[in-house]
Amino acid sequence: MKCTTKCKTIEILNLSDEQLFELSKKNVLSLSLEEMKIIQNYFKKLKRDPTDVEIETIAQTWSEHCKHKTLTGMIEYIEEKSGEKTKKTYNNLLQETIFKASGELNKPWCLSVFKDNAGIIEFDSENGIAFKVETHNHPSALEPYGGSATGMGGVIRDILGVGLGAKPLASTTVFCFGNPDMESSKVPEGVHHPRRIMKGVVSGIRDYGNRMGIPTVNGAVCFDDGYMSNPLVYCGTMGIIPKNKIDKKVESGDLVLVVGGRTGRDGIHGATFSSTQLDGESDISAVQIGNPIIEKKVLDTMIEARDLNLYRSVTDCGAGGLSSAVGELGKKTGTVVYLDKVPLKYGGLCPWEIWVSEAQERMVFAVPPENIERIIGIFKKEDVEAVCIGEFTDDKKLTLVYDGDVLASMSMEFLHNGVPKPARRAFYEIKEEKIQKPIDMSSFEISSSLISSLADLNVCSKEWIIKQYDHEVQGQTIIKPLQGNNIETSGPGDAAVIFPYTAVKNTRKGIVLSNGLNPQYGKIDPYKMAASAIEESLRNAVAVGANVKKISILDNFCWGNPSDPEVLGSLVRATKACHDMSKAFEVPFISGKDSLYNEYFINKKKYSIPSALLISAMGVIENVENTVTMPFKKNGNKIFVLGVTRNEFGGSVFSKIKSIDGGIVPDVYPRESKDIMEKIYNAISGNLIEACHDCSEGGIAVAVAEMAFSANKGVYIYIDAIETLSPLKKKCRSGNEMTPVEVLFSESNGRFIVEIKPDNEEKFRKILEGSIFSEVGYVSDDKKVIFESKKNNIKVQQSSEVLLNSWRNTIIGC
Amino acid sequence: MFEIEILTKKGFKNSRGEHVLSDICGLGIENVTKVEYSSLYIIDGDISFAETETIASDLLTDKITENYVIRQRDAECLSEVISKFSDVKEADMINPNFSVIEVWYKDGVTDIVSESLIKAVKDLGIAKEIKAKAGHKYYLYGEIFRVTLDTIATKLLANVLIQECKVY
Repeated sequence: MKCTTKCKTIEILNLSDEQLFELSKKNVLSLSLEEMKIIQNYFKKLKRDPTDVEIETIAQTWSEHCKHKTLTGMIEYIEEKSGEKTKKTYNNLLQETIFKASGELNKPWCLSVFKDNAGIIEFDSENGIAFKVETHNHPSALEPYGGSATGMGGVIRDILGVGLGAKPLASTTVFCFGNPDMESSKVPEGVHHPRRIMKGVVSGIRDYGNRMGIPTVNGAVCFDDGYMSNPLVYCGTMGIIPKNKIDKKVESGDLVLVVGGRTGRDGIHGATFSSTQLDGESDISAVQIGNPIIEKKVLDTMIEARDLNLYRSVTDCGAGGLSSAVGELGKKTGTVVYLDKVPLKYGGLCPWEIWVSEAQERMVFAVPPENIERIIGIFKKEDVEAVCIGEFTDDKKLTLVYDGDVLASMSMEFLHNGVPKPARRAFYEIKEEKIQKPIDMSSFEISSSLISSLADLNVCSKEWIIKQYDHEVQGQTIIKPLQGNNIETSGPGDAAVIFPYTAVKNTRKGIVLSNGLNPQYGKIDPYKMAASAIEESLRNAVAVGANVKKISILDNFCWGNPSDPEVLGSLVRATKACHDMSKAFEVPFISGKDSLYNEYFINKKKYSIPSALLISAMGVIENVENTVTMPFKKNGNKIFVLGVTRNEFGGSVFSKIKSIDGGIVPDVYPRESKDIMEKIYNAISGNLIEACHDCSEGGIAVAVAEMAFSANKGVYIYIDAIETLSPLKKKCRSGNEMTPVEVLFSESNGRFIVEIKPDNEEKFRKILEGSIFSEVGYVSDDKKVIFESKKNNIKVQQSSEVLLNSWRNTIIGC
Repeated sequence: MFEIEILTKKGFKNSRGEHVLSDICGLGIENVTKVEYSSLYIIDGDISFAETETIASDLLTDKITENYVIRQRDAECLSEVISKFSDVKEADMINPNFSVIEVWYKDGVTDIVSESLIKAVKDLGIAKEIKAKAGHKYYLYGEIFRVTLDTIATKLLANVLIQECKVY
């Protein structure tokens, strides 16, 4: 091994444990002592020290970001309930929970599950649809605009890099921010104000997504001061791919072609950086800035090359840069890369920097030599830089060459399978939840509470964000994020529906995208949080017309430091819920991602985020004409509540605004809930439902108000007719055991508000036979939202316009 | 090396300046009365004044709503106005009651605006190797203490991790 002045030998063979660990820390390698010792032993066998290129390659390949060591490692989990402890050992948490559920469900319409850059399900006999959701939290904390933009750019490239490349059709974004109105003095030094983070993040997503010509159609925003220092930025993209373009395989002799942006010092150590806490002393090189115009040209040209069968495999350059992309492609064959051939933005980069740089908008292709001229010609035509930097070999080794010198020579086996499995301890104590003291309020107080709930940051209109995004581009968005009579009166849609008629000729099918997220529940019980997020994502999809039997889901865990047994314990409990709910609803996970170490140290004080699990759902709708929106449609139509209302206020919006202690976190009852979802699908397919909206934050009161004000109509709801159950699953006599305010604001899962024409009532009731539901009121023409309980002498009356303004005016022109 | 400044013509709305003023108010700072924004470009290389003027007028300026100023720039900040828009007097540019904050990317940070500028200059038919840099200039009116300007610069206008700002 010959080293140039640009490449250093790292002396590790004779280092002590302490020195090894110091080396890892000093060079931001994020490798544990055990990992450093394994690397030391490997090079002892080779009888030489590694080069900096080799050490950086191993650190990248073994990073938490790329290997998911915690979720695939060994975990000794202890759970305590009422003083009794139970113990379980997981050898691979993901394999034994989420993957296991998908494997057992074994749905024939799942075409690619957890093995490529995105999950793919069947759309029709010739096409699949791919979906991926990524996080870009730490980069967005440091540079909100660049961080979120490159998050969006990265997930779009995941879709370009799935199979032989899918064509992106739509994007989704979900954010968790601190309170944008927080006093500046409360924001720690070295941290951007939450408002600045929010504005920067939204602008970054807007500029990248809009310039790519991909509509951003669905999302959510959660506000909690726990995200002040460490925002969560989830970006998702869905695309369509011919079924015969899903399989890919690199062959020895194929050339390594790097296409798109040039390489600079952007995002150096991004993969390893994501495995560390934010400490206020972050490096400029960890920041990435995106250029959507380059990515758009890559997209257009690569789809042309794909359809001409000019390459055998492709993947995107994401975390870990070329090291990750080329390393993954050449895992089974071996590869030699000439780093001096990589096009650079500017001179002065060391070989290791070229290799691990996370410069954006780059894709790597495996191209048979006979196609190389033709494929480069296609890229050149659109001014896209495409350079051959090496070839795939048959020696199962990674060889890196710079100016004729070999700077790295390692076996692929060691690189990809040499990482030790960490063993961690996890602990979780299940705390007993208690029903809060009865909440009794006057009509006036209930009315004020409804206004406050609608104005709450976690319920209010996100129009300021939504309207910055182009959700119409490509002209295929059938159900949109804001729904209503006109631009001034709108309400929040449950899910988006894309009708991909330009990509698939003569189709009637659609694609539904939705999500579920509620970190507030996780503060009390991560199991119920995860179960609720899954149920909410399904509910949202079903509310617009999706068939729950044809929905797939994605997980995105954002957690704190897994070295803390209690943090890891809550993660184990959430994955358990994922397994149980996936099986119970028969809904498979097809892809996922975890972002751990979401913690921040300032002046030695630790800030940790509230754990958050985002569930994103994608499903196929057989006929896009059989879809519904949430605004009420016609005066005189009947209103039904489907599902049961329980006294569940733990983590609710109402509890927060009224400072109510205790309360039970909404549980999920899959059998009850799935049955209703299937029946709603049947009713929507039979054109029996005029409007449908799920009940989530703010309960029935908020859901009904949203349906009314988005239509500029009135509604009468008879509270006593709403079906309730006690938490002990004993059926209540309607309204007797829960107070009117509890019935209206409880956040029980599994409930929908639906509007039915009187003429369709009989057929609708027949479909719903055997389920818990009740007729509760009607749509009126007086533009007043009325909730009445005669038994309790309560009559809440508020104008639609007042409620609309409460909902709309919280976030304006940030 | 030339610096091109693109300014909004008088009588037209300086939207970005208004947004920044609103954000400054949001920080609780009350003594800034008006903000005007202009974009800055530095062009370096074997390029003539006439070519720079072509770039400024044909590429970077919206002739209806904007004007430009070209300054000769030597190494760091020393600048001399060598060409200015025709319909505004020099006196209009000099107002003792304003302070200036300039924001530039630090070296090594990807600057996609300047990358696009380099490509666009070639598309314009100027076949020369140039380097470019893009920046932002904010004119803040009112009696503003230096410490307040620093706060506005670092809390609002620049991310000091990747950008540097000059306050004067």
